[in-house]
Amino acid sequence: MSGSKPDILWSPHHPDRYVICDSELGLYRIGPVGNSETKAGTLPLSEETAATLLAINSDTPYMKCVAWYPKHEPECLLAVGQANGRVVLTSLGQSHNSTCKELVGKEFVPKHARQCNTLAWNPVDSNLLAAGLDKHRADFSVLIWDISSKYSPEASVSSEKIRLSSVDLDSSSVVTKPLYELGQNDACLSLCWLLRDPKLLLAGMHRNLAIFDLRNTSQKTFVNTKAIQGVTVDPHFHDRVASFYEGQVAIWDLRKFEKPVLTLSEQPKPLIKVAWCPTRNGLLATLTRDSNIIRLYDMQHTPTPIGDETEPTIIERSVQPYESQIGSFAWHPSSQNRMVVVSAANRVMTDFTVFERISLAWSSTTSLMWACGRHLYDCVEDGAEGVDSVIEKDIATKMRQRAQSRYGHDTVQVWKNHLLAGGSDPQLKSLWYDLFYMKQCAEDIELKLQGNKQSVVYSGIKNIVKTTSGTTESRRCWSGSERQSDVPRYHSEERCLSLRLCGWISRGPDIDVEVFLRSLEQEREWERASAVALFNLDIRRAIQILNKGATAEKGDLNLNVVAMALSGYTDEKSSLWREMCSSLRLQLKNPYLCVMFAFLTSEPGAYDGVLYESSVAVRDRVAFACMFLSDAQLPRYIDKLTNEMKEAGNLEGILLTGLTKDGVDLMESYVDLTGDVQTASFSMLKGSPGEVLKDPRVQCWIENYRNLLDAWRFWHKRAEFDIHRGKLDPSSKPLAQVFVSCNFCGKSISYSCSVMPHQGRGFSQYGVSGSPTKSKVTSCPGCRKPLPRCALCLMNMGTPVSNCPGTGKSDERLDLTRENKLAQFNNWFTWCHNCRHGGHAGHMLSWFKEHTECPVSGCTCKCMQLDTTGNLVPSDSS
Amino acid sequence: MFVARSIAADHKDLIHDVSYDFHGRRMATCSSDQSVKVWDKSENGEWHCTASWKTHSGSVWRVTWAHPEFGQVLASCSFDRTAAVWEEIVGESNDKQRGLSHWIKRTTLVDSRTSVTDVKFAPKHMGLMLTTCSADGVVRIYEAPDVMNLSQWSLQHEISCKLSCSCISWNPSSSRAHPPMFAVGSDDSNVNYGGKVQIYEYNENTRKYAKAETLMSVADAVHDIAFAPNLGRSFHVLAIATKDVRIFKLVPMRKESTSTGPTKLEVQIVAQFDNHNSQVWRVSWNITSTLLASSGDDGCVRLWKANYMDNWKCTGILKGDGSPLTGSSGQPTAMSTVVGSSVQTSQNTQNGMSAGRIGKRAPFAPPLRQLTSPKISQQHPAYY
Repeated sequence: MSGSKPDILWSPHHPDRYVICDSELGLYRIGPVGNSETKAGTLPLSEETAATLLAINSDTPYMKCVAWYPKHEPECLLAVGQANGRVVLTSLGQSHNSTCKELVGKEFVPKHARQCNTLAWNPVDSNLLAAGLDKHRADFSVLIWDISSKYSPEASVSSEKIRLSSVDLDSSSVVTKPLYELGQNDACLSLCWLLRDPKLLLAGMHRNLAIFDLRNTSQKTFVNTKAIQGVTVDPHFHDRVASFYEGQVAIWDLRKFEKPVLTLSEQPKPLIKVAWCPTRNGLLATLTRDSNIIRLYDMQHTPTPIGDETEPTIIERSVQPYESQIGSFAWHPSSQNRMVVVSAANRVMTDFTVFERISLAWSSTTSLMWACGRHLYDCVEDGAEGVDSVIEKDIATKMRQRAQSRYGHDTVQVWKNHLLAGGSDPQLKSLWYDLFYMKQCAEDIELKLQGNKQSVVYSGIKNIVKTTSGTTESRRCWSGSERQSDVPRYHSEERCLSLRLCGWISRGPDIDVEVFLRSLEQEREWERASAVALFNLDIRRAIQILNKGATAEKGDLNLNVVAMALSGYTDEKSSLWREMCSSLRLQLKNPYLCVMFAFLTSEPGAYDGVLYESSVAVRDRVAFACMFLSDAQLPRYIDKLTNEMKEAGNLEGILLTGLTKDGVDLMESYVDLTGDVQTASFSMLKGSPGEVLKDPRVQCWIENYRNLLDAWRFWHKRAEFDIHRGKLDPSSKPLAQVFVSCNFCGKSISYSCSVMPHQGRGFSQYGVSGSPTKSKVTSCPGCRKPLPRCALCLMNMGTPVSNCPGTGKSDERLDLTRENKLAQFNNWFTWCHNCRHGGHAGHMLSWFKEHTECPVSGCTCKCMQLDTTGNLVPSDSS
Repeated sequence: MFVARSIAADHKDLIHDVSYDFHGRRMATCSSDQSVKVWDKSENGEWHCTASWKTHSGSVWRVTWAHPEFGQVLASCSFDRTAAVWEEIVGESNDKQRGLSHWIKRTTLVDSRTSVTDVKFAPKHMGLMLTTCSADGVVRIYEAPDVMNLSQWSLQHEISCKLSCSCISWNPSSSRAHPPMFAVGSDDSNVNYGGKVQIYEYNENTRKYAKAETLMSVADAVHDIAFAPNLGRSFHVLAIATKDVRIFKLVPMRKESTSTGPTKLEVQIVAQFDNHNSQVWRVSWNITSTLLASSGDDGCVRLWKANYMDNWKCTGILKGDGSPLTGSSGQPTAMSTVVGSSVQTSQNTQNGMSAGRIGKRAPFAPPLRQLTSPKISQQHPAYY
C-alpha cells in the first residue's frame, strides 16, 4: 500500500464504517443519500448511499499495511505496519477511553529494520498481532506481538531505534520483545490466522506456505509453492484457503495440503487482491492491477461422485463497477454481495452490489417469472385501468381479447368483425369491409359475368381490371352547370364491379353514389364525402356537403371557406384561381380537401396528385382510378399500388389482391410485421376459394393460431374455430377419432347401425337420448351379444341412466338447458384407458368425486389422476 | 404496467433456470442445491411447490418441459456431466391429497464427458427429441422412439461445435418449408476464435445436421440464445445474450429444388442494445415474439418491444429484486464522485458527477383487462 495505492477495510463491528488508507487513514460512514444529502461534504457512492468523512489520521507515514482490531472495544483501533518494520497502534476519531489511551501510540519494533508486509490480528486471542516482514539475513520474519505487553528495556534494542522513537514517543510505549518469533531465515509476504484453530498461523513465506503452531513453534507444516501472496481463509469453510502468485489463484484444502485443489484460470496481469465473500458461501473476488473489472468465482464444493480428479464447480463471471481502474475493494461484512470499491487514482469510492444472475421465462399468458439468487419473482400485469391506454397493447394480449369477443366469427355481417376486434384499427376495418363487399358481390345473383363469378370477385381489383373490355368513354357535364366537361370518364362492367368492391356504389347498373354519400355524412366524414361527390362531377353536392359539415354540431367553420374556394372553380387554364389553388392546396391538412383541388387543377389523365396521396384511403384512390384512368393507365397504376401494399403489408391492399396468391403474399408481410395470425387465419377462411387455403403459408398460420388458442387453454374457442373452419373448408374436418368395438365380434357397435348417417362417428349418439329414432340398444347390433356393464349400476351399457343416481341430490337446481346437456353426457359410455374399466359417464364422475381408485373390485387404478392436462380447466369457459 | 411479486422459492442455493410448461400453469426451477422444484398455479393465481427432489450430484443448470402431449415430462442437465428425463406419475400412495406429486427418473444421459450446460426438447412436430450441449463443445440429439417408454433414448446425432457450448435453442417453426434447425452459443471468451453462434440445419438427403451459418459478428462469450416463436412468419428471429442484447433476423432464401445443401440464410441484425452496460445473462421471448425480456449483470430485467417499423425499444426496466428502478439512472455504478487526494475536511466539493444513462421507466405493456366483448349497440351502416 505504498503511497497512491489505496486499500479499504470495513469495520468489523460497525456495518456502516470503513477506512480508506493510502498515504493517510480516512474513516468514512456510509448512509442513505436522503439522510446525508443536507449535510455538506457527503460523497455519493451510489444512487442510494453516500459516505461522510468522519476522521483523518496522517500520524503514521510510510504505511505498508493496516489491520483493524477485531474486538468491539476499543473500537477503531488500527494496527499499521510501516516500511521500516515497525507496527504502530493508532486510532481514528474516537473518544479515548482508558484501554484505548493505553494502546494508541504503542509501537512494536523488530530487531532489524525492514519492510512490514502484512499484519493479522488473532481472531480469538485479540492481544496477539502477527506481523510478516521482509527477510533480514538469518532473522525471523514472522513476529507475533502481544499488544498488552509493557515496555521491555532490553539491551538488544539498537541505539538507532531508540533515537528514532524517542523523538515523538515516550519510550514506555515501545515494545521490542515479540511473544513469538517464527520463520527464521525467510521472508513473509502474507499471513492469516486459521479459523479452525486460533493457535495456527498460516504464512506465505518466500517459497512456501507454512502453518505455524504456537503451541510448538519449532514445528511447521509447509508446502513448497510460488502462490504465497494474499493468503486468506474462507470464512464459511475453514479448511479452504486462497493464495496467489502473479495472475494465478490457488485454492487449498488444509486437509489435503500437498497441492492446490484448484488453480483458477490465469490472468494476464498480476493480482493485487483476493477476498472471500463474507456473506456467500464459496464466492471469491479477485482484482488484478490496472483493471476495471472484478472477477468473481463462485465455487461449489459439492464433490462429484464420478472420480477423484473432478474439480469443483466454478461459475466465473466478472463485474465492472465503473469505467476507471480499480485500486482496491472490500466486501461488506454483512450486506449480501455488497462491496465498496475505490479507484486507483483520486480515491473515487463506489458502493457496489454484485447482482445474482437472473434467469427468466415468459409464460404463454404474458407473465414473466424470474429467479434472482434464491428468490423467485412473478411479474404480472396489474389491473390498473386507463393508465396504460396510451401504450399499444401487445398483439398477444390483443389476440386473446379478440378471441374472447368471437372476432372473425361473424360470417353474415362480415364488416362487424372489425368492431369485434376493438374497432380501433383502420387496417382491420378496411380488410373486413373489403371482405364484406366481396361477399355481397359474390352473392349478388343479378351480377352477370362470364365464367365463375365468385372467383372473379375474390380475385381482387388487380385481376378484375386486367381483363377489362368494352370500355366506353364519356364526357359528362358538371352537374348544375351547362358547360361540357373535358374530363373523360370511363365505364365498363369490370370498372363498375370495382367501384362496388370499393364500396362507392351499391348494386344496380347505374352509378349512383348518393347512398354512399349519405352514409359518409352520417359518419361525419364531410371532407371525404365532399371529395367523392366532386369526383362524381357534382360540384354543387360537394359544396352542399361542406356547408353541412361547417354548420353541424362541432363542425369546422373552415369547411365553408373551402366550399367558397370550390365554388370559384373555372377550367380556364391560366386563371388566377387555378394558379392559387394548385399552390395553396398543399397547405390543406385534410388529405381529401387536398385531393379535391388536385383533381380540379390537374390536366385530364394526369392525376398523380390524387393517385399518390398516401393518406387517402386506398379504396378511394382505386375507385377514382377506375373512373378516370384509361385502359392503358389503370392496370399500371393498380399494379404499382398492389406492389406497394404487398411490400408494406398493408391490409388495405386486400382490395386489390383479393384472396389470391397475391393476397397471401400481402398477408405474409402483414404477419411478418405483426404476428397477427388470428386475422390472417380468419380472413383467408372467409374467401372460400379453395386454392388459397391450400397455400402452405395459410395452413401454417391456421396451425399457429390453433396452437396459440391451445396454449392459452382457450379450448372452446379452438373448437369453435375448427367448426367455423370446417364449414368453410370441408377438407379440414378431422376423421373419426374413436369407435367402440364389440367384445365378441370385434365390429364397431355403431358401424353396424345402418341408420347412422356417419359411420364411425356414432358412438357419441349411442345413448338413448342421442337419437330418439332409435330403440334402446343394450346389445351389439352385429352379433346381438350384450354390451359390457357399467361398473357402478351393473346395467348393460346403452341402458338409460337413472337421473342423479345414489346420492339423490335433487336440490341442485341447475337451469334446464344445462341439466339437459349434462343428462345426455351422463349416458355416455366412458372407460379408463389404463385399466379398461368403465361405465356411464355420470356414474363415473360421481364416483370419482369421492374416490381416487377405480370402482371395480380389486383394481387400484387411479383413473381420474392419470392425465394432468385433463385436470386443467379451460380458461375460456363461461 | 408490470408488478413483481416475490415467491418463497425455498431453494438452498442459486436458482439457475426457470421454465414454464406449454400452458403456463406449471413451472419448474433448478438450482445449485442439486434439486428441481415443480410449481403449480392455483385458481387464485398463487404458485405452490408440488414437488421438490434431488436430481443430480452437481449444480443443475437448466430444466425444461416437454410438450404436454408427451405427458408431464421434464429434462434437466447438470455439472455432474449428465442430463436426465423425469416423468410425473400417479403414485401408489395418496400423494395427490397432500398436494405433492411424484416424479421419477426415466433415464440418465451419460454420454458427455464434461458439464452439460443446456438441455432442450425439439419442437413437438419432430416427435419426442431431446438435445443437450456440453462444455466440451458437443451437441447431442436423442430420440425416444416410443413415446410411451421414456426410459429408452437413442443418441441420434452427435455434432461437434469445436467451442465450449453454453446454450442451445431450437427453431420452433413447424412449417414444412423450414427444415429442423437449431442454434448453439458458446461462452468461450476468446474473441479470436470467431463467431460464437452457430446455426445447424437438418439435411433430408444426408440425414445429418450441417452447419448453415456462423454469426461471425458475435465474437464475445454468449450466455443465452433464443429463437423467437415463428408464428407463421417467413423468417426466423434469434435473440442473443452476450456483452449486449442482440436480435438477428434470419431470412431463408428461396431454395431451388435442385440444391441439396443447407438453406442459405440472409442474416440481418435488427437491434443491438448495450443498456445493461454489462454482460447479458438471459433472453426470453413471449409467445408471439413481440416482447423480449433480458437480464444482465446490472441486476436489472429489461423488456423490449418492436413497433410496426420493426424498431425495437426498451419499454420497461425492473430491478432483480422486483423493486421499481428509482432515480433516473439504470446503472447503480453510473454515479461517481471524484474527490481530490488532498481532502482534509469533510467539506469537499463534488465534481465529476457523471449522470448515468437515462433509463426509460415506462410501464411496458398494457394491463390485461377484464375481457368483455365490445357492445355493438348501434348498427353501423354497411358502408365504409
